[in-house]
Amino acid sequence: MSALRSHSVLNSYFLESKFEFLRLLRTPSFSVPAVLFTPLFYLLFGVMLSRGQGSEAARYLLWTYAVFGVAGNGLFAFGVTVALEREQGFLRYKRALPMPPGAYIFAKMAMAIMFSLITICLLAVLSSTLGKVSMPPTHWGILFALNIVGVLPFCALGLWIGTMVGGQGAPAIVNLVYLPMAVLSGLWLPLTMLPKFLQTLAPIWPSFHLSQIGLSVIGRDAGGSLLVHFVFLLVFTLIFALLAKRRLALSN
Amino acid sequence: MKNKIETLLACALVATLVGAVYFQPQRSKPAVKTDTKPVAQAANQPASSNSFAVVNVKVFDGEAIIPRATVIVKDGLIAKIDATNAPLTADIAQIDGTSKMLLPGLIDAHTHSWGNAARDALRFGVTTELEMMGDAKRAAANKAQRESLAATEQADLWSAGSAVTVPGGHGTQFGLAVPTLAAADDTAQFAAQFVRARAAEGSDFIKLIVEDLSAYPGRKTWPTLNSAQIVAAISAAHAAKKMALVHVSLKASATEVLAAGADGLVHVFANTAVDANFTNLAKQRGAFVVPTLSVLASFAKSGQAEALANDSFLRAALSSEQRQSLSVQGKGLPRPEVFERALSNVAALHAGGVRILAGTDAGNPGTAHGASMHGELALLVQAGMTPAQALSAATAHTASAFGLTDRGRIRAGLRADLVLVNGDASADILATRRIVQVWKNGFEVQRIGQALLAPKMSDAPQIGSFEGAQISAPFGSWMSSTDQMADGKSTGAIKLAIGGAKASAGALHITGKINAGFAYPWSGAMFMAADAMAPLDASAKTEIVFQVRGDGREYRVMLFSGESTGGIPVMQYFKTTPDWQTVKMPLADFNGADLASFRGLAWTADLPEGEFDFWIDEVELR
Repeated sequence: MSALRSHSVLNSYFLESKFEFLRLLRTPSFSVPAVLFTPLFYLLFGVMLSRGQGSEAARYLLWTYAVFGVAGNGLFAFGVTVALEREQGFLRYKRALPMPPGAYIFAKMAMAIMFSLITICLLAVLSSTLGKVSMPPTHWGILFALNIVGVLPFCALGLWIGTMVGGQGAPAIVNLVYLPMAVLSGLWLPLTMLPKFLQTLAPIWPSFHLSQIGLSVIGRDAGGSLLVHFVFLLVFTLIFALLAKRRLALSN
Repeated sequence: MKNKIETLLACALVATLVGAVYFQPQRSKPAVKTDTKPVAQAANQPASSNSFAVVNVKVFDGEAIIPRATVIVKDGLIAKIDATNAPLTADIAQIDGTSKMLLPGLIDAHTHSWGNAARDALRFGVTTELEMMGDAKRAAANKAQRESLAATEQADLWSAGSAVTVPGGHGTQFGLAVPTLAAADDTAQFAAQFVRARAAEGSDFIKLIVEDLSAYPGRKTWPTLNSAQIVAAISAAHAAKKMALVHVSLKASATEVLAAGADGLVHVFANTAVDANFTNLAKQRGAFVVPTLSVLASFAKSGQAEALANDSFLRAALSSEQRQSLSVQGKGLPRPEVFERALSNVAALHAGGVRILAGTDAGNPGTAHGASMHGELALLVQAGMTPAQALSAATAHTASAFGLTDRGRIRAGLRADLVLVNGDASADILATRRIVQVWKNGFEVQRIGQALLAPKMSDAPQIGSFEGAQISAPFGSWMSSTDQMADGKSTGAIKLAIGGAKASAGALHITGKINAGFAYPWSGAMFMAADAMAPLDASAKTEIVFQVRGDGREYRVMLFSGESTGGIPVMQYFKTTPDWQTVKMPLADFNGADLASFRGLAWTADLPEGEFDFWIDEVELR
C-alpha cells in the first residue's frame, strides 16, 4: 500500500513536470526567446565583436553569459508564469487538485533547469566552434554543473516576484530586475568598465556571486572568497523561498 | 505574527546584501580584466598581428628537432607545426626561416625581477621568469598577465613572493622589509604557519633559504632555518599543494633538504664535490637542480659577465642599466677553483640523471635579465650538457618541472612565445645570441630600446670649488648621502672647511661613521648633476679630477648613470693621505657607466665599520 502511494506521489511529480514542459513547448512565444536570447547575445558580443583578442574574451564571456542565461530562465519561468497563473485563478485550481503541493514548484524548477541546460549547450557549441574557446574537460563540467544548480536562487527570486505582481505587469517587472542585474554584476561587460560605486555594489546581485564562482575556475574572478559567494547564494535562495512561501500562504 | 516573520526575512536579506558588499575585496586583482574588454577594444586592435607563419625553419620543439617545418601561429597561439611544408594561403604573413632555428621562448628558472627586469628579459627571448623571492604584492598582477594573450613588452612571471628565512638571515639584507620567521617563536608549527601565509598571499611556490654563508670565507656566519623548521616548512608547502624549492650552498644542507622532501635546489653547491650518494638521493627523490652558474661565475669573478656585456650580438639590445649590472663586481678575490667545482658538480649531477634546469639568479651583481640566460646556456654546455639538452633545460624541462602547461614547447595549442635565431642552436649554443626576432603571445617584441636623450652637460669642467659661503656648484647640487635611505645605520655630514687645496679659500669636509645595518653600507658626499638625479649627456667628458686629503682610509667614487635612478652605480677606489693630492680617474675606467645619461657622482666610505674623515676640493669633470 505504502509502496503504491509513494509511486503515485512520484508519478504526480513526473506528470506535472511533463505537462509543464508540454505547455511551454506549445507556447513558443515563451520558449523560443528563452532559449535563443542568450546565445544570440553571446554570438554578437562574445564571438563577432571580440575578434582579434584571441579566444580570451570569448572564454571570459562564455562564463558570464552562462550566468546571464540561467538567471533569465529562473526569473522568467517563475516570475512570469506564477504571476499569470495566480491572476487567472489557475494556481487556486491547482491547489484544489489532490496533487502534492511541491509538485507545482518542482515542475517549474525542472523546467528552469532544463531550459538552462539547453542554453548552456548552445553557448558551449557556439564558443567552442566559432569562439575557438578551448578548456580542459573539468572546466566544461563545472560550467554545466555550477550553472544548472545556480538557477535556484533566480527561481526563488522569480517565485517571490510572481507572488507580488499581477500577470500583465510581470514580464516588465522581471525585465526591470533582470537586465540591470546583468549589467551591474558584470555579465555583459567586465565590471571594471562600470563607475566605481556601481562596482562596489555589484555584490548585492546573486548573478555576481554565481559568475564569480565560475570565473574563479579560469582565474578571472575579482578575488573574493568562494565561501562568501556560496553562502550568499544559499542564504539568498532561502530568504526568497521563505518570503514567497509566506506570500502564497497569505493569498490562500 | 505573520508580518513579524516577513520583517525578519527582510532584515536577513538586507544583512546578506550588506555583508556581501562588505566581504568583497575591492579590486584585489586590478589587472585581471585588461584583456577582456570585448566591446570597447575590438575596434582598435590590429586584427591579425598575432597571426603569422614561419616557413622553411628548423624547429627545436623543446626536446626534439624537426629539420624543416612550417610553424603557424593564430591569435597568439601556436596553431600547427607542419613538417610536410604544405604551401600556405596568401592571407597569412610569412617569415622565411631558411638557415634559422625556431625555439620556444626561454624560461629563466631563477630570477629576482625588480624594475625593468621583465622588459629586459623579453628583449633577449626570455619570455617567462620564475622569481625565487620578490614582491608578494604582485601575485595577482603576475597571474593576470601570464594568463592573458594580449600584446605585452614584458616577460610573464611566476614568483615565490616572500621567502622562508629567519630574522637577520640571508634574504633580509637588501634594505627592504620582508616577513621572516620570528626568532622568539622558534617552533616548527610557526614555520608551517608562515608557509601557509605565503601560500595564502599567492606565492606560486615556496622558497626556503638555508644559508649560513659558511661557504664564503672571511664572512661572519648568519643565522638560518633549523632542521625542524625545514621539515615543517616543506611539508606545509606540500600540504598547500606548492612546490618547495631551497636555496642551499653546502652539500650537507642540500642532502638534508632533499631528505626532507624538497622538490628542487635553486643553486648548485660548490663547497665540495657531488658524489654518487648525493646524485642517487636527488634522482630517487625526483628533485631538480637549477645551478645558477651565471651568478656563481660572477661571485667567482670568472669574467663571464664582461664577455656577455661585450658580446657583439647581445650588446645592441642591452640597456645601460643591464650593462651596469653586468659590470658590477664585489670586492673579494677571484675564486676560480670554486667555479670549476660548480661546473664539475653540474656535470656529475647531469651524468647521474638528475634534471638540470637553466636559471641565472638575474637581479644579482654581474648578471642581467635576459642576456645572462644566453651565458647560462653556454655555461651548461661547458659543464658537459649538449646544446640541445641545455635548450631543453631552458624550455620544456622547466615547464614540466613547474607544471607550466601553456608554454615551454613548440606544440599546437600552446601560446606563441617564440625565438627565431640565426644558425643552429642545437649544434652551436652561441647561436641563441644571434636573435632575429622574439614573439610574445604571438606579437613581435621590439628589441632595441628607445634611446634616452638627455640634455647636454655644460662644457665648463668645474663642479665644486667650495669657495663661497654655501656649498654650491655651477650646475647641479651637493648633498650628504648615507645608507639610511636603504634602512642602514651609517651616519654622515658635509660642511665647508676653511683652507683648501692649492691655497684656495675652502674645501668640502666629509665626515661620518660606517655602521652595520645595510649589507653594503655607505656614507659620504653626493653630487647630483640635475634636480632629482635627472640625467645629463656627459659623453663629451673624459675624466674626473679632484684634490683630496684625509685619514688614510680607502674611499671610492661612485658614478650613477643609466635609464633610471635605481641603477647600481659603478665605482673606482682611491686612497687618502694627510696631504692634499690630485686624483685623476679616466671615465673609461668606470666600466659600464652610460655617460649619455649621467646622473651623479658620490665620494663615499664603505666597509670596514668605523669613523671616517676626509676633504675634497677643486672637483672637475673634464
